[in-house]
Amino acid sequence: MGTGRRYLFILLFVVGLVAVSAVVIASKQTKLGLDLQGGLELVYQGQATGAGTEVTSEDINDSISIIEQRINKLGVSEPEVARLGTDEITVSLPGITDANRAAEQVGSTAQLFYYDWEPNLIGPEKAIGGSPGREPPEGPRKASEKRWEEAGRNVTSEESKQLIFAGAYPTAYEAAQLAAAQEPAKDCSECSVAKPRYYLFEKAEPHELIAGPELAKKDLYISPTGKKRPKDGIVVEVPAGTILVSEYPTDQEGKLDETAEPGWFALKDKPALSGNEITEPEQTYAPTTNEPVVSFKFTDSGREAFQEVTRQIAQRGQASAIGPVGAEEAAALSGHFAVVLDNEVKTRPIINFAENPDGIDGREGAQISGGFSSLQDAQDLATTLQIGALPINLKLISETQVSATLGSQALHDGIKAGIIGLSLVVIFLLLYYRFLGLVASIALGAYGVIFFALIKLIPITLTLPGIAGLVLTIGVAADSNIVIFERIKEEVRAGRSMASAISAGYKRGISTIIDANVVTLLTAFILFVLATAGVKGFAFTLGVGTIVSLLTAVVFTQALLGSMSRSRLLRSPAALGAGGEGRRWHVDFLGASRWFFSISGVILLIGGFALATKQLNFGIDFESGTRITVALQKPTDEEGVRETLEGVGIKGEEVQQVSDPNFGDNVFQIQSHQLEPGEVHNAESALITEYGVVANGFESTSVGPTFGEQVANNALKALIFSLLVICGYVALRFDPKFAVPVLIAIFHDILITGGVYSLTGKEVNSGTVAAFLTILGYSIYDTIIVFDRIRENVPRMPRAAFSQIVNRSMSEVLTRSLATSFSTLLAVGSLLVFGGATLQDFAFAMLVGIASGTYSSIFIASPVLTAWKEREPGFIRRRLRIQEVEGGQVPAYADDIEMAKLGRDDEPEAAAAVAAEEPAAEAAPGAVATAERTGDGGGNGAGSLTNGDTEAAAAASAERRARNAERKARRQARRKHGRR
Amino acid sequence: MALVVFFIMGIALWHFTVFLPDRFWQGIVGAFLGAVLGSIVFGLIVQEASGKSLGDTDLSTALIAVPGTLIGLAVVYAIGMRSEQHPA
Repeated sequence: MGTGRRYLFILLFVVGLVAVSAVVIASKQTKLGLDLQGGLELVYQGQATGAGTEVTSEDINDSISIIEQRINKLGVSEPEVARLGTDEITVSLPGITDANRAAEQVGSTAQLFYYDWEPNLIGPEKAIGGSPGREPPEGPRKASEKRWEEAGRNVTSEESKQLIFAGAYPTAYEAAQLAAAQEPAKDCSECSVAKPRYYLFEKAEPHELIAGPELAKKDLYISPTGKKRPKDGIVVEVPAGTILVSEYPTDQEGKLDETAEPGWFALKDKPALSGNEITEPEQTYAPTTNEPVVSFKFTDSGREAFQEVTRQIAQRGQASAIGPVGAEEAAALSGHFAVVLDNEVKTRPIINFAENPDGIDGREGAQISGGFSSLQDAQDLATTLQIGALPINLKLISETQVSATLGSQALHDGIKAGIIGLSLVVIFLLLYYRFLGLVASIALGAYGVIFFALIKLIPITLTLPGIAGLVLTIGVAADSNIVIFERIKEEVRAGRSMASAISAGYKRGISTIIDANVVTLLTAFILFVLATAGVKGFAFTLGVGTIVSLLTAVVFTQALLGSMSRSRLLRSPAALGAGGEGRRWHVDFLGASRWFFSISGVILLIGGFALATKQLNFGIDFESGTRITVALQKPTDEEGVRETLEGVGIKGEEVQQVSDPNFGDNVFQIQSHQLEPGEVHNAESALITEYGVVANGFESTSVGPTFGEQVANNALKALIFSLLVICGYVALRFDPKFAVPVLIAIFHDILITGGVYSLTGKEVNSGTVAAFLTILGYSIYDTIIVFDRIRENVPRMPRAAFSQIVNRSMSEVLTRSLATSFSTLLAVGSLLVFGGATLQDFAFAMLVGIASGTYSSIFIASPVLTAWKEREPGFIRRRLRIQEVEGGQVPAYADDIEMAKLGRDDEPEAAAAVAAEEPAAEAAPGAVATAERTGDGGGNGAGSLTNGDTEAAAAASAERRARNAERKARRQARRKHGRR
Repeated sequence: MALVVFFIMGIALWHFTVFLPDRFWQGIVGAFLGAVLGSIVFGLIVQEASGKSLGDTDLSTALIAVPGTLIGLAVVYAIGMRSEQHPA
């Protein structure tokens, strides 16, 4: 495929991709994280129980499945239950406002009990369904059928008949009335629930069940998602010792038909055994028929209880039979053993007295067979049975409740910061690169559309740190363009034709971009694997964004510029911002670096003293504790809030009045030791009673010590792994000696940022850790831009001292380095100014880190590399030869004429090498000094002889310009000739 | 936190070695190692001897790192001088 066709294909591909992305954006919803839409996030840690000593992967997966089932009952839309690390589970519940109840319902194990069915039936139920295999008495049966008809149920359907013959009530309300009429149990030590429970029914007939069971009457009137329920409903209290259960009819295959309406029973609450007494429930196959069955084992007490209850059921069945009976008749007469999960009969198998006259011996466990229409049914029941017998305890280690109003404000701020950041970068690109800037802006636009579509399509849950990652990738995408554009400008200034300059610019820039982006990707990957949930969102966005930016900022812009390279638009170098000679830095960077070293040293000393005396202000992510933000209706002060909290037993908290753009000045931030979910709920109730809380004006975060410790450990691991992997990459791609200055520059940047955090007292949280690790990636990104040019110039300058190579390289890339840093700073700066509180914290660390990273790559990493490389024998020899020619000094810049003289110099290198064997005499005063007289002893020599504004340098420059003009004229003449 | 303070002080003081003749073993990188190791090892010894935990830091924690860094630098410098005088 020809170049033109390839470019056309790429352009069409990207345009098509943008069009498809636009459709995706228009048709798909963005999945917002809890921090942006409000809700509750719970993090549980699995802990081994009983005989188990460790939490297995299977335990966690089973628990996730169980929690998902429980959440479905809360009526939460789009909940997320995911594994976190090896033994943790994170549960996200958007829209949940009652954290206390949700946490209780999600975290507690389900209520699983086993009942000897018939003896526990009450009243008319018992009269109808209490004697299996017998026709129910006519009176109670007809009364029951009447009830079913009055409730609007079809009494002739098979499902209804089944339930009527079992003795069920057609509505929960009627069964609840029966239950409510029972006397409270005097001794309820073996009940499934030892307290009365409350149900709320509609006032109007047929009195539909609205809510319940609840242990507190007030909980009936508000759902866990904050939805208010009618106050005028009928409340029924079911006393301790009686429970209300529902049962779905079974279909022809014996499978529960959950699409049908259930029947209701009031039962005596005397379970034979509980879910805690069974172990290892699993789906297996019957050895003889190979049908799916559910088998389980018992604890010692469970085995005895199971044997006893099944024996009683079998004996009752036997007693009801007259004479010997066949297997089929025995099955009809046999009593039932009911498995009741969360007040719902899940299965009610018979205990066939013909097969098990003495009950079932539980030593080998037991199994439930028959009635499974598919393998999945049996697996589902096995999972259901596990609910009451979780192999692990779930300990709540972190709880975050985000107000929907504050979440929506955070989203608004994040979007605003992103748009402003993008606009600033576009304006900068247009002003500085003119036509190239326009191309880059089109690429940025394409990048934004494709990336946003990917966010919706994957879908990536968009969180606040994710938005930070997104804004940062705008800077990274612009960086890639800047790296290439500066190359193109250099090539144009060197006299190349536009097409050739574009081709060369991309060819030479691509290795730098790949190196820099690989480093960013490595950082993102390590963060994603090791960091906590919030930071993962940032890492994922950063990683995906970096990959997309390679497509739009490199492949797309190359195709765009390549197609237009011969157009009128690109005829003038000025259109690219490449008019004139361009900015040529001619500073002795290495000579000046000792002063920059001193500045860094002083900053670090201040940072060291600040860290020693003020330490870091670690947030609750690390230190554990609870933070509550509450917007009150009635005005009060910090003391008033403190007193209210002390009234509910919450003492030793810090209360601070803050201002919030949504809620005004009557907002308080409370920070205390870690509070249990119940305590947070109490605090909220007390504040509501005393001052009233603005709608959606309550937020809380609780982090346990385990979670805090884990965040810190993960951060440390991520830091160490990132350093190792990235240094390994630099050592492989460049030279092992290049990795050490990179490492030193990273330490420099992270420590300076740490010092600034200590001095300013800003809080360090898990977002700051992400920012620190991104600084690490960015610092290397910037250093790689400089080192890449050094690597390129080493073979080009075979006679120059290493310091001269580095000075030349830095003068060539300084504009590029400053431009890339500036574009990233524009994006990060918009986060700092417009991003809202959370993003501002993140952006602050990034801002300090990026500024420090740019500085250290030029003034720390390169001088250290120079000082180290200059000790290599080859460079010592070069240095000595230059000193001989230059009268004992090494100019800051290798002059072309002087280099030519060195090239003609016949003096053998061996002599210089001998001289190099005596370094003690020539030891330079200062490791990074580059322009000094040998044996000069004192003085720093920085810059005094080095600026290169010598006549020779000017003459060389003029000569170069003349050569370039001549080459350009020749090329133009050739093109003109070709056209003719 | 004390370890971080020792580390930052070691690195901070290392920056000023650019004003010294480059006779450190392995040059500026050797000086870096000497400064950091000196400050951490000496700091840990003093911290341990004074009965403070690694979490406790105050002004003295930062000051302790100074002699440690200087000792580390001196050792690396001495090794460098020695290897210059007695090349392998």
